[in-house]
Amino acid sequence: VRKDSEQLALCDRFFDAIERKDLATVERCYAPEAVIWHSHDCLYQARESNLATLRDGMSRLEKMRYRDRRIHVFEGGFVQQHTLFVTHANGFVGQMDVCFVAYTRDGMISRAYEYFDAGQLEKFLGPRSG
Amino acid sequence: VTDGQIRELCNRFFDAYQDRRIDELAEIYAPDCIVWHNVFGRETTGAENLAALPQSYRQQRRRSYDDRTIDTFAGGFVIRYTLQGVQHDGHRGALWICIVGLCRDGKITRIDEYMDSSKFAAWAGRARRAEGQP
Repeated sequence: VRKDSEQLALCDRFFDAIERKDLATVERCYAPEAVIWHSHDCLYQARESNLATLRDGMSRLEKMRYRDRRIHVFEGGFVQQHTLFVTHANGFVGQMDVCFVAYTRDGMISRAYEYFDAGQLEKFLGPRSG
Repeated sequence: VTDGQIRELCNRFFDAYQDRRIDELAEIYAPDCIVWHNVFGRETTGAENLAALPQSYRQQRRRSYDDRTIDTFAGGFVIRYTLQGVQHDGHRGALWICIVGLCRDGKITRIDEYMDSSKFAAWAGRARRAEGQP
């Protein structure tokens, strides 16, 4: 039986946890075999490596906010479109439009595909210093 | 509308796009269709999108929309695919794209397209020519 509400809850739990810098909850959202593919390098990033990336972002960034979330649930997963706003330590607020497609099992994300425009990194990271 | 019908609409759309059948694309777009591109960060109408296609098509010898992975939801679809292009000089490039499409009454009402503009030079072969290669 398809339970859309469970997929929606998982999606919200995952992104809300990143906003709160709650890495333990993020870890519980990922299945042990989870892999995350990114459109800038077209590679699958292993679970632990992705968690390390998130941990690093949580420590370096003042704030991460997923705004304008639009979620659709499909058989076996969900897609969320959002604008990610990040507040850097120097106060610069960067933003990026992202599409996150997740495939799930047993209430966890087992595979995800993240699409964004790496050509607009300056808008996300801020003007390069030096 | 069944999942199968939405999937069929999605494939019909990409087949028409690939085969440059603009008249069929005009039938697939709802009159109020909106197309948004992450690269430009703005919305255009379906009519504006179609009007730009002849010029867009002239830039490549051919394109194919491959490796399509389609998931359907109530009222729409998400498709991930590889856009393969052959330039007029024979250069082959690829872009990896994700589109979220919304549908109503068998037509597409909205398209949100996500791609990576940092790959445009490699796609068009400009990076290779800049390095002095043939």
